[in-house]
Amino acid sequence: MIEFDVRTTDDGIGVVVPRGRLNMVAARELRETLTGLVDSGTPRIVVDLAETTFLDSSALGALVAGLKTARQAGGDLRIARPTESVMTVFRLTNLDKVLRPRDDVESAFHG
Amino acid sequence: MSTDTGLPADASSVESRRQRAIDALGLGVPLEQRRDERFDRITRLARTVFRTPLASITVLDGECAWFPSAQGFEPAVTPRDDVFCDRTHRVGEVTVVPDATRDPHYAHLPIVADGGIRFYAGAPLRDPLGNVVGTFCLFDTAPRTLDAEELQTLEDLAAWAQQELVGSSEMMRASRVQTAMLPAIPIEHRGWHVEGICLPALSVGGDLFDFQLTNGIVHIGLGDVMGKGTGAALIGAGVRAAVRSTHPAVVAGADLGSTTYRVARTLQSDLDRGGSFVTLFQCAIDVEDGSVRYVDAGAGLCVIVRADDSVERLVSEDRPIGILDDDTWTEHRTRLDPGDRMLVFSDGLFDLLEDQREWWREVGRLVADHHDPAGTLAAVRHLATSRLNLDDVTAVVVHRSSEDVR
Repeated sequence: MIEFDVRTTDDGIGVVVPRGRLNMVAARELRETLTGLVDSGTPRIVVDLAETTFLDSSALGALVAGLKTARQAGGDLRIARPTESVMTVFRLTNLDKVLRPRDDVESAFHG
Repeated sequence: MSTDTGLPADASSVESRRQRAIDALGLGVPLEQRRDERFDRITRLARTVFRTPLASITVLDGECAWFPSAQGFEPAVTPRDDVFCDRTHRVGEVTVVPDATRDPHYAHLPIVADGGIRFYAGAPLRDPLGNVVGTFCLFDTAPRTLDAEELQTLEDLAAWAQQELVGSSEMMRASRVQTAMLPAIPIEHRGWHVEGICLPALSVGGDLFDFQLTNGIVHIGLGDVMGKGTGAALIGAGVRAAVRSTHPAVVAGADLGSTTYRVARTLQSDLDRGGSFVTLFQCAIDVEDGSVRYVDAGAGLCVIVRADDSVERLVSEDRPIGILDDDTWTEHRTRLDPGDRMLVFSDGLFDLLEDQREWWREVGRLVADHHDPAGTLAAVRHLATSRLNLDDVTAVVVHRSSEDVR
């Protein structure tokens, strides 16, 4: 089972850290977590993928849905530190241009 | 109005509707009775909860009764007139018989007169239209009753059994319908051979492929709707229809980028509402000269294995359908010369590969190591079953014979 670590930084940026395998079951949870953050007034979100070992198309769907929801609320969703195997999935689907990976969580919304 | 048997007067029309429901759900007497754990765990639990020696799920088909699950007795097919459930079916509500030897409706049944059964309780199992398609039953060799709480438990267990019985039949049926939407036979035409498989992880899935040969053009599509199961399958049926509707244009030479754009416009609102997206690879192969036009909406999983076994990936910059409203798609070109082979597949197969970073090597071997598409597809199937596919696995293989067939 996957664990989500959710916190909000001092600058009001939501940070979600999924640990383990992001499959269909976990994707549903991720989607709800992201929607919950936006609904509670945190439309700027970083999903830290450093500890995500696997990511399937449902998880991509959750990230894209989160991105759309965040942008509609005037914010954005960014991903940070994907592992090489997770990055392969982004590259195959050409989603690495929409969800451009950032080197670290702190600078994901700066520079 | 009711007759002196206490049964509804229009029993024959109810029965014919009921039998149609049995046929439609595929709940007829099976050729070979097999244990089904999904049903057995419910009857087992019933026996423990009620402390009865026997429990069953009973289905009536024509003049027979059969038992998808039975605890405490051999589930042999039995004449319908010989079982309690015949009457429960007709009454259509929970039936409790405290002592069958003293009830004229049941005292003559062989299992009462000869089998020593005294107590019976049965709850009807219905299809979504309300037809009784089975019963959930308890039996005891001593007379007894059920108190209000036990009756509630019986109804709860029956509701569970109903869901397994009707729900799983519906899914099997859906699975057959979805399979029937795939091409029935491979294409074999002047040295070209096109064949595919689709192995859903659940009863139905969000993967699809289609191919058609018209006027010397083979049009192939392979799509993967995000997610799995029924939701993905429903959208998948829409994707297939949308792709098919562009087939005449594709065959006539229309740009695949613009036909994909049309497919995307058709799907956009459904995808938006469902919060879903689709990856879709399409190609149009001219069987005369081997020229190939292709478009790839975010699938990224197509290789060509050349006659000398070198492996090429087909790449594109385009995103899946349903991501951004203003996305467009671009047609690319390549060739399939005599001896060349092509494999298009879904990410369910990708997930099964040992090395995902240089995945095309393992995939290339799947193609190069087999001399016909059926061999490659058998290897894909073996991979899916031996490594346990958790996602739908779909693949289409194209071979062009090394001898130029004219």
